Parts: sequence; structure tokens; C-alpha cells
Amino acid sequence: METNASDLVKDIGGLITLPDVYLRISRLLDNPNSGGADIAKAVSQDPSFTLRLLKVANSALYRFPSAVTTVGKAVSVIGTAQIRNLSLSMSVAKSFAGLPNDLVSMENFWKHSLYCALIARHLAKLARRCEPDALFTAGLLHDIGELVIFNRRPAEAQAALQTVLDSDDETPVFEAEQQALGFDHSDVGGELARQWNLPPLLEECIAHHHDIAGARQHPREVALVHIANILATLAEVDSLDPDDTETIDPLAWELTGLTPECIEPAVREAQAEIEEVEKLFTDKT
Amino acid sequence: MSTSPPAIPAAATQPPPPVLPGFEHVRRAWNATHSYYAARILPGEYYVTKSAEGVATTLGSCISACIRDKVSGIGGMNHFMLPATAGSDPDAYKATGLGAATRYGNFAMEHLINEIMKNGGRRENLEVKVFGGGRIMEKMTDVGKRNIAFVRDYLAAEGLAVVAEDVGDIYPRQVIYFPDTGRAKVKRLRSLHNNTIASEELKYVGSIVDKPVSGDIELF
Repeated sequence: METNASDLVKDIGGLITLPDVYLRISRLLDNPNSGGADIAKAVSQDPSFTLRLLKVANSALYRFPSAVTTVGKAVSVIGTAQIRNLSLSMSVAKSFAGLPNDLVSMENFWKHSLYCALIARHLAKLARRCEPDALFTAGLLHDIGELVIFNRRPAEAQAALQTVLDSDDETPVFEAEQQALGFDHSDVGGELARQWNLPPLLEECIAHHHDIAGARQHPREVALVHIANILATLAEVDSLDPDDTETIDPLAWELTGLTPECIEPAVREAQAEIEEVEKLFTDKT
Repeated sequence: MSTSPPAIPAAATQPPPPVLPGFEHVRRAWNATHSYYAARILPGEYYVTKSAEGVATTLGSCISACIRDKVSGIGGMNHFMLPATAGSDPDAYKATGLGAATRYGNFAMEHLINEIMKNGGRRENLEVKVFGGGRIMEKMTDVGKRNIAFVRDYLAAEGLAVVAEDVGDIYPRQVIYFPDTGRAKVKRLRSLHNNTIASEELKYVGSIVDKPVSGDIELF
């Protein structure tokens, strides 16, 4: 039996596959000689991604003043680095369909993740000096380790959830996982991100959203995902009462310069956007 | 790696209050954050107390009635659901009359009320709050709705007014009720917990279907 997060991730490589379009865009971005036109060409090779990219570019998520009708325009208005994030975000639900579980429905899992993504994106705009689209992807991916644990170690995962309920919901899930397994979903997600060579920003947000002080390169982004994750749980249960969720680490406010006044508008905006975004980023119709 | 240490529950600063006979098996835990003892009941259980302590449970589509004598503070909570009946009509349980379906609901309600009165509660002082009946499994029939309809009918027939309720919707709930003050705290839970809660409830429904209750319910 796997005794740590890295062993757990080792044998799931074949079950989750990143899309070719993401890998192609990543290679191009790492090559200093390639430009926007190369990225647009790589995108065009995947007609289904192209179609969905144009839908996203014309959605309320971007509010561009005029219609985005070509891949070239989408790449120039969204930006090459952000197209890579989008190609990851738009395929992640499909990529993880190979890791089913009996503990949470995929629909509910991605709904929480999308709430976190929307709120992280919103907070990134407020905090400034952060890429909103990168934060969207980080928010969407922050709990992916959970799907690995639920699929590979269902008994311990269920015991952890039961511990949370038995504590009157006062023990956070990641702490209950540490008690049951010796590691938690942020450790597993971090390992997965390393195995996939995801950009360091995403890796740190996934690995440290419950442990901001552990972030080395991107503490502000990690702090934004930490706040967004907790606000996402409020959005899910339609509440603005801090007693209904986990405590936000004061370090997160310090690092981002944000204040609790941002909570209500962030939650309300995400609730207004969730339905459209569910259609764009998952199979939900 | 996450470095934050797991929370160590703070020790209780006082011993648990006395337990009424018949409820010794119910687990009571100290809540360190808010400094109180709470008895934790599972589906099919109930708990009555004369002391300053809480009664807590987690509800999916099940119902908890919280009832107390508002003068003496004696009161408690039950946790039940009606077993499945044919059809998705929320009123279908009525068709079976006093048969299997309603029997479990009546059983749960009467046990709680009888126990409160046995311990000195007076019927004219009873105050009722009702929680639960959420639709936590989107793809299944809305059994929560049926449970809500049952408890409302039951209380109306008994002439007991409901002073507060939080029922229906799509959320599981964590409920803590303090019979001595009548205060109830309801927290909606994340959908992450839906399946864990639903499987507990299914286990309970399975157990009541397999094992019919006695036909003799003591009326008060």
C-alpha cells in the first residue's frame, strides 16, 4: 500500500491524460522562437477545442467589446500564456473522467472547483499584479488530489469525511485526511502537478492552498486560492456567514492586501456566473 | 507538504451533565470551540435531556423534530425518515394509512414526545422546531419532500405549532439544538458530504424495512 502522496500518484499516470492541444501550446511557449501565429495554428489543429475557445472568448467571462470570431483574434485578446491555461481548464473535467469515485459526484466536485476558479479570478483582479486567467486555472485545479485519493484510497477517504461530520464539521477535510492517510489532497495534487510539469504557479497553488506559509515562489497567488477555496464553500451553501466555513488564514489577507469586505461581492458574482461557466467547462448542458 | 499540525481537541473543562435513563448509549462529545456537551444522534435514534447540553445530528433527507417544554426546558430531538413507498407523489405515504410508511414517523415522533412528558414536560408548553428533508441526491426521488409533508401533517393533527423550521432545498444540514434555551443552530454542509450522509440514511432505511416496528404504539 502506498505510504505517501508520491507513491499514490505514480500508478495513476495512465488514467489521466492531458490533451494534446495543451501539450503543443506548452512546447511552443517554452520555445522563444514561436509567436502568437504558431499558437493559433496549434489551437486550430483541434477543432473541438477551437469551437469551445471561441465560446469562452465570447462569454460573460471576458466581456470583450466586439465578437471574437477567429482563433487569431482569440489568441491576441486572451494572450498566449492564458490560452495555455484555458486549454488545461477546458479539458480538466474530461481528463479526470478516468478517475471515478463513489464519494462525490463529478458534477458536485467540479461545481466547487469552478466556484473557486471564478472567485480566484475575481480576487486576482482586485489584488492586481496577478494574472486572472492563471488564477482561474489554479482555482479549478486546486482540489484535483481529492479525485486521486477518492479513487485510489476510498476507505480512508470515507473515514476522513466521516471524521469531519463527527466533529460537527469543525475538523477541516485536509486535517482528517492527514489523520487517515498521513498526507492530504494538497500533497497528492502537488505531486500530480510535478509529474505533469505544470507551471510552478499552478503547482504551488494546488500544493499549498491549505498551507500558505509553505509557498515559496507565488505566495500571493497561493493566498488568493486559499481565500477563494473557502469563499467557494460559502457560495455552494449560499451563505455569507463566516461561521459556515473554515477560517481564512490572516496571512492570506496580509499577502494579498485584500480585506473581508471583498467576500460578499466575490461570492455573489460567482453565484451569478456559475451556470454559464458550468456549461463552458464541464459537460453539463 | 502541508505543515500545519492536526488540531488537538481541547480537554473538556467539566464533566458531562447527568444522562436520563435509556439514553446512556448515546455518544456525547465536548465541543471545545463553544464549550458545551452535545449528544450526537444517528438516523433512527432520539435523545431527551433535562440538562444544559446540546443534541446534535447530521441530516440529509431525514427529518429532526426538536421539541421541548419551554417552561421547564426539558426536551430533545429525534432523527427519522419514512421508508420508501411506491410512486414519487409526496402524498403517496398517506395511501398506506396507518400502515408501514407512516408508522415509522409516528413511532419517532411519539417516542420523543412521550419521553419529554415522562420526564415532567407538559403538553401545553411544548415548543417545536423542524429541520431537514433536503434533496441531497439529485437523481433520486425527492424523499425529503415526503418526510417534510409527513411531519407537518403529524404536528398539525396533534395541534402542535412549529415555531421555526429550515427544511427542503438541496443541502445536508448539521443541527445542534439546546432544549434548555430552545436555541437551534443549523449549518448547511457542502455537497462533498452528500454521499456519506445519504449512505448512512440508506443503511437506516434498509434496517427499518427489514425489521418492522411493533404495532402497539403507546399513546399519550
